[in-house]
Amino acid sequence: MLERLLGLDYRRRRLHAKCTEGPLQDYLATPFPPTRSDCRETTFIALDLETSGLDPQHDTIISFGWVAMRGLAIDLSTARHRVIRQQCAIPESSAVIHQITDDQAATGYELHDILSEFLPILAGHVLIAHNAQIELGFLDTACRRLLGGRFIAPTVDTCYLARRWYDRRNRHFRSGDLRLANVRTRYNLPQYRAHDALSDALSCAELFAAQLAEHGVNGRLPLKAFLLPA
Amino acid sequence: MEVELQEIRDFLSHVVPFDQLNDDALNRLPSTLVVRYLRRGTPFPPADQSDHALYIVRRGAVELRDVEDKLVEKLAEGDLYSGLCLSDDPQGALHGTLVEDSLFYLLPCDTLQQWRSNHPVLEAHFSRTLQHRLRRALERQQAGENHANLLTVAVGHLLTRSPVTASPDCSIRDAARQMTAERVSALLLVEEGRLAGIVTDRDLRSRCIADGVSPEQPVSTIMSRHLHKVSRETPAFEALLTMTRLHIHHLPVVDSSGVAGLITTSDLIRQQSAHTVYLVDTVRKAANLAALVKAHRRLPELQVQLCAAGASAQQIGHAVTAVADALTRRLIELAEEELGPAPVAWAWLAGGSQARREQTVHSDQDNALLLADDYDATAHAGWFKRLAESVCSGLAACGYYDCPGGIMASNPQWRQPWQAWRHLFDGWITQPDGHAVAQAVNFLDLRVIHGDERLFSSLQHEVLQQIRASQRFLTALSETALENRPPLGFFRNFVLIGEGDHANTLDLKRRGLLPVVNLARVHVLSAGLPVIGTIERIHAAVDAGLISREGAEALEDAFNFIGTLRARHQASQIKRGEAPDNFVPPEELSAPERGHLKDAFSAIATLQAALGRHHA
Repeated sequence: MLERLLGLDYRRRRLHAKCTEGPLQDYLATPFPPTRSDCRETTFIALDLETSGLDPQHDTIISFGWVAMRGLAIDLSTARHRVIRQQCAIPESSAVIHQITDDQAATGYELHDILSEFLPILAGHVLIAHNAQIELGFLDTACRRLLGGRFIAPTVDTCYLARRWYDRRNRHFRSGDLRLANVRTRYNLPQYRAHDALSDALSCAELFAAQLAEHGVNGRLPLKAFLLPA
Repeated sequence: MEVELQEIRDFLSHVVPFDQLNDDALNRLPSTLVVRYLRRGTPFPPADQSDHALYIVRRGAVELRDVEDKLVEKLAEGDLYSGLCLSDDPQGALHGTLVEDSLFYLLPCDTLQQWRSNHPVLEAHFSRTLQHRLRRALERQQAGENHANLLTVAVGHLLTRSPVTASPDCSIRDAARQMTAERVSALLLVEEGRLAGIVTDRDLRSRCIADGVSPEQPVSTIMSRHLHKVSRETPAFEALLTMTRLHIHHLPVVDSSGVAGLITTSDLIRQQSAHTVYLVDTVRKAANLAALVKAHRRLPELQVQLCAAGASAQQIGHAVTAVADALTRRLIELAEEELGPAPVAWAWLAGGSQARREQTVHSDQDNALLLADDYDATAHAGWFKRLAESVCSGLAACGYYDCPGGIMASNPQWRQPWQAWRHLFDGWITQPDGHAVAQAVNFLDLRVIHGDERLFSSLQHEVLQQIRASQRFLTALSETALENRPPLGFFRNFVLIGEGDHANTLDLKRRGLLPVVNLARVHVLSAGLPVIGTIERIHAAVDAGLISREGAEALEDAFNFIGTLRARHQASQIKRGEAPDNFVPPEELSAPERGHLKDAFSAIATLQAALGRHHA
């Protein structure tokens, strides 16, 4: 509780001190952007993880998709999709959703290598995800197992922002209303057919761009107003 | 490139000009883009985007306005804004506003420059002026042979109706009934989408009646199996050779989806004979009205075949008008045979599209009678009345619907001696109010179809001299010419006419062709030139120094492009068994066609604006 009051960047320094040498320690060595900075001057990394289930302790990451958003512009040259090599077969139900077969997963990357690629890209920037607890939970578990430390990141959760939108207007919503595709519809964003990790990461970045635009792009857009409370 | 940006790749593969990139280039394009979301009401292009870019609308809509805040363009999904990247782009002079929440793909200007130098198709699109683009569109539209004949036409183009089919299990009697009802000489028998056999008139005779087979038996007992088939792409002459070799009169046409139709020897022979010359000849020899009506039924087919052979609007116009001219002359001859010789000299005048040689199968009749001044109403009126009524009703019987404005020789008002016509023109020219000008326009395109040429040319000469000297009349005529403006372009599946005004269909005649016809007419009349055809008028206007060569070329290409599009639209209507018209729904147009039409509209608008300034 005390740590929460002390702020995210203080926690970053504490975790950095306790962390094993390696990519995670390098990541934690980079200061987080100040929460008072403007979103236009901030770089965001939208991330989506496809996983075999919802429990980071028992389920595994199947693929990563990410894309960077510099200020209000999503830079597609940064878009990446990485399928992780699996030890055991992917449950059929999640293979259907993610359109990834065992064959693809057997030829994928090592999770360690992808963490080593991803963490330097995220360093000093802000994570965006829809329902970010999943991404944060799986990344934390992976970091503890493979990189000897805890993972934290300043995070924009587009699902949280969507829920807040209803709460602030005192409007009733059903859980389905918070699903990525349904929130996008409210902003006149196109429906994508594909549901791989990269397509969802891009969908999420576009949704955040729309949520920022809703706040009016002429006034200030303080990062603090959009971050998930620590 | 990340194959997962497939979604964006697929979208771009339908956006002009990126649709022309090869697969490899198209795969690499998405990762060069930046995505921006802009909210409704935001000024466009957005002030907070530091890097100048080409904007591709992925979702949403933008209105672009000129310095006077007049709506010029409305962009939607798949449209481009290149005003920031191209120095001479007219879009650069416009300012915009988002009218819907919108998502854009931005291609930075310097990246666009690299892509242009590496991909000639993009360079061609972004560097060419409107004129160049129109000329190329026209060339592509008319690629192909200019003569419809069996050597060049594929079988698929000759299929005029969907195949008449039945199940092999149906009875011989039912098969025969269906053939009678559908007026066909052969029936294709289809089982589970596959062609099982064919039964012809001859089979019914020789294998059923002659052999005493009961008509209650299934038709499969008398059908021919193991048929020779051709594809849509088979050249017609090859099909004809096959039929001759096998001594058969019917060939099924199949494609990937199954049975596409049936081609018969008479289809192929008609194809040859439907040439204009043949049709004109048939009309000339027709013994009576019934024979004329019958011959004239082949006119739609002529237009379909000319289109299939890649003929231009001008070629089609000349061919179709040649038939109308021959028909009119033959009707006059038939009337004269009945009425005896004319009491005084006279001329049958065709007006409108027939005069300009710009008819299509969907044309009305505009005509008038010019009589010599020794005409005596009490003695001669009856003869000319009967002549006019006979010819006009004959034309109507052949499908030239009555002129909505009543500009027909059967109307006594438009059956006048020389002096009376001269007086009418004088009234219109000296008192050019709205009604007078509208009336005069009907008689400013006239051509002698039959009778005394000199009677008309002397009238035309005087009228042209008078118009040339009458600035007031020319100004009034210009104003009429500017009443019909081309649309601004397209917005989604609508035609964007102007502020808050959308149409579901594009009236190619009223919005595209007539504005050019009217412009060309004003120009030649201001120089007193006796030229009638629109293209010829445009050429004459250049030679007389009235319009710039560049402007004239763009106008001519616009006229040809729109006219050819109309002829093809009508040809596909005829093939579908619909009545041909001038209305094209935007969803029938391909993305490149829309682009070219927009260029054509813009060329017309530019010359209209020039005319407006000249007579202001």
